[in-house]
Amino acid sequence: MDIDPTKILIRYNVQKEKAQTPEQMASEMYPSAEPAKTISAAIFEGEEDDVIEGLEKAIEGGADPIALIDDVLMPGMKIVTDLYDQGVIFLPNVMMSADAMLEGIEFCKEQSGSVPKPKGKIVCHVAEGDVHDIGKTIVAALLRAAGYDVVDLGRDVPVDEVIAAVKKESPMMLTGTALMTTTMYAFKEVNDRLLESGIKIPFQCGGGAVNQDFVTQYELGVYGEEAADAPKMADAILAGKGLAQLKDQFHKH
Amino acid sequence: MVKRYTDMAYKAADDMIFGKSVYPVKAELGLEVGAGYVTAEVNYAPRPEAGVSKEKLVSEYRRLTTDIMARAVQVGFPAVSLETEHVEQMTNNPTWGGEIAHVQKTILEEYHEEYGIKCGLRHTPGDIREDRDLLALIGKKYDILMESFEAVAEGGADFLSIETMGGKEILDYAILRNDIPGLIYAIGCLGSMDMTMIWEDIRKIADKKGRIAAGDTDCAQANTAMFIAGGLLDKNLAHTIAIIARAISAPRTLAGYEAGAQGPGKDCGYENTIVKSITGCPIAQEGKTSTCAHSDVMGNLVMQCCDLWSNESVEYHGEFGGTSVQCWSETLNYDAAMLNVATETGNAKMLRDILVLSDKYRDPQGFVLAYDNAYKVGQAIVKDGDDIFLRAKNAAVASVDILNSPEAKKLSMSKFEVNALADAKAALDAMTDEADTFMSDSLEKYKAEVAVFRPDANYKF
Repeated sequence: MDIDPTKILIRYNVQKEKAQTPEQMASEMYPSAEPAKTISAAIFEGEEDDVIEGLEKAIEGGADPIALIDDVLMPGMKIVTDLYDQGVIFLPNVMMSADAMLEGIEFCKEQSGSVPKPKGKIVCHVAEGDVHDIGKTIVAALLRAAGYDVVDLGRDVPVDEVIAAVKKESPMMLTGTALMTTTMYAFKEVNDRLLESGIKIPFQCGGGAVNQDFVTQYELGVYGEEAADAPKMADAILAGKGLAQLKDQFHKH
Repeated sequence: MVKRYTDMAYKAADDMIFGKSVYPVKAELGLEVGAGYVTAEVNYAPRPEAGVSKEKLVSEYRRLTTDIMARAVQVGFPAVSLETEHVEQMTNNPTWGGEIAHVQKTILEEYHEEYGIKCGLRHTPGDIREDRDLLALIGKKYDILMESFEAVAEGGADFLSIETMGGKEILDYAILRNDIPGLIYAIGCLGSMDMTMIWEDIRKIADKKGRIAAGDTDCAQANTAMFIAGGLLDKNLAHTIAIIARAISAPRTLAGYEAGAQGPGKDCGYENTIVKSITGCPIAQEGKTSTCAHSDVMGNLVMQCCDLWSNESVEYHGEFGGTSVQCWSETLNYDAAMLNVATETGNAKMLRDILVLSDKYRDPQGFVLAYDNAYKVGQAIVKDGDDIFLRAKNAAVASVDILNSPEAKKLSMSKFEVNALADAKAALDAMTDEADTFMSDSLEKYKAEVAVFRPDANYKF
């Protein structure tokens, strides 16, 4: 027994696929000038050695290492994240590109001896009692790839530690991920403790069993349905959006 | 030294069917699993606020167990099985889990005595073997975990299960980098090593207490891959990579049976059809009835060879139709009734094939897990059954070959999926067949790349 599957299902991913390959689309987005073109291609391919080699050549040619971060590495990574946002490439491609780009940033920092100014600082953590941290790993990588300074508190982080880190780092945003309904209640406590301390920063919450209904129960919570929402939310904060506007933008249900 | 599987339990894929297994298991209150009929396995989670004390948790489980049993007799279902997946307090405090098992079993006994309804109870302690930032598979946490198994077995749990996490520290790194050798190392090698250790001990406890060492699932790894892969339009992981992870999880879950598990395998082990083809042991499965917990792309297909039919998990709360456990248990039981009517009327294979064809071409994952292809993966595993590395690699190669075969032409794959598959094939082609070489190379590589990898402490390297 067999069937013609087209009568009972549609693979919309095939139907909606772009005609061009990701490589073709990326190549059209690379800057025309060198070394940016070669380094951008190396970032897209996730080739760390090629990124470093391109940076070495550029620095030998007189380029300022810190300027290379802002003018070459970050725009190169943005090509990758833009293609991810457009649904053209997959997350592992972004992760590998981010690894290559971050290695390039470290190289530039070593060469320069100074530290570039990040777009902003964000504290990430996994809820107390929860050791499932792959979601947080993805969030942190995407934020770093977008140029944010990430303070990663790790997994199973006690509420006290979250509050202490926020007070110490003064981040523009806090993220919390949880897989289990039993652990996500720690987010409410984090929210209450932040408010008690007079801190009103957006607290992006997401992961496994976390849903919008739950996150809307506490004042600072903004629901992030996808990991890719994290850098978008940070960008929105930089653009001046407050809590209400963030909720309006990211609460889709 | 465990005896590895080197043969298939079934002579042909077509011999595999829902409700029947080669080696059924029997619970205390009349329920037989895999003995010719499918039974609903209801799964639930307490409301978070119930976890604040032992008394509140016990009360929560008493209520929801009674609800399930009351609905079962109200609608006339002949059998039901319950699964209690522990919240961490119940495993970390073994007496909590033990008391809850006892309370639940007492309720099942009352219903069995009064109505004759056949019942089973599975308890699944949580894999608590970790410190805050690191896996801690061996040591004090292991001892507490074994105490938890002892307590729930003493309390009356018929089936003992767990979702172990061996290899997860490497999986979490590899899966985000399309690292196929990393998947084989994490799931196939490290996972199998941990499974072999823990299931030998669970079996000893089961034998001592007169219970059944049921089975494990690669929830921590293959389900992570499936969850990240998501739906058709999600771009977090190619579904062709997710099914390779799933195929590799079959020899890992098999290692539990080799060390003493007897079934029914755990519901969220989507690898279970492959495992059943090798062991002949009964399995639980979940699909369209677990949408309360997560989405998948093979909701009907996974019913194909199930012996217990589950809903994965639902939080205990009120719905329009009763409490959540009543609503979902009723749905599960009606499904089981349909499957059992198919068996009684001689139409089981027809229904099985309808279920399979409704999803077989929906996604690469369902295509490989369809029983005919799952059987081929099983054959690839037992071909080198004595070598935990090679059989895991074989499973990966078999899943790639199945997707590249002429029979897959009706499966329409995107360029992404095809390209990811081609990259995976290239990675597999470049791999050694020598276990010693692979293990030493991998050890060196991941010690350097994964900061939380502690091979000596967790795997006795």
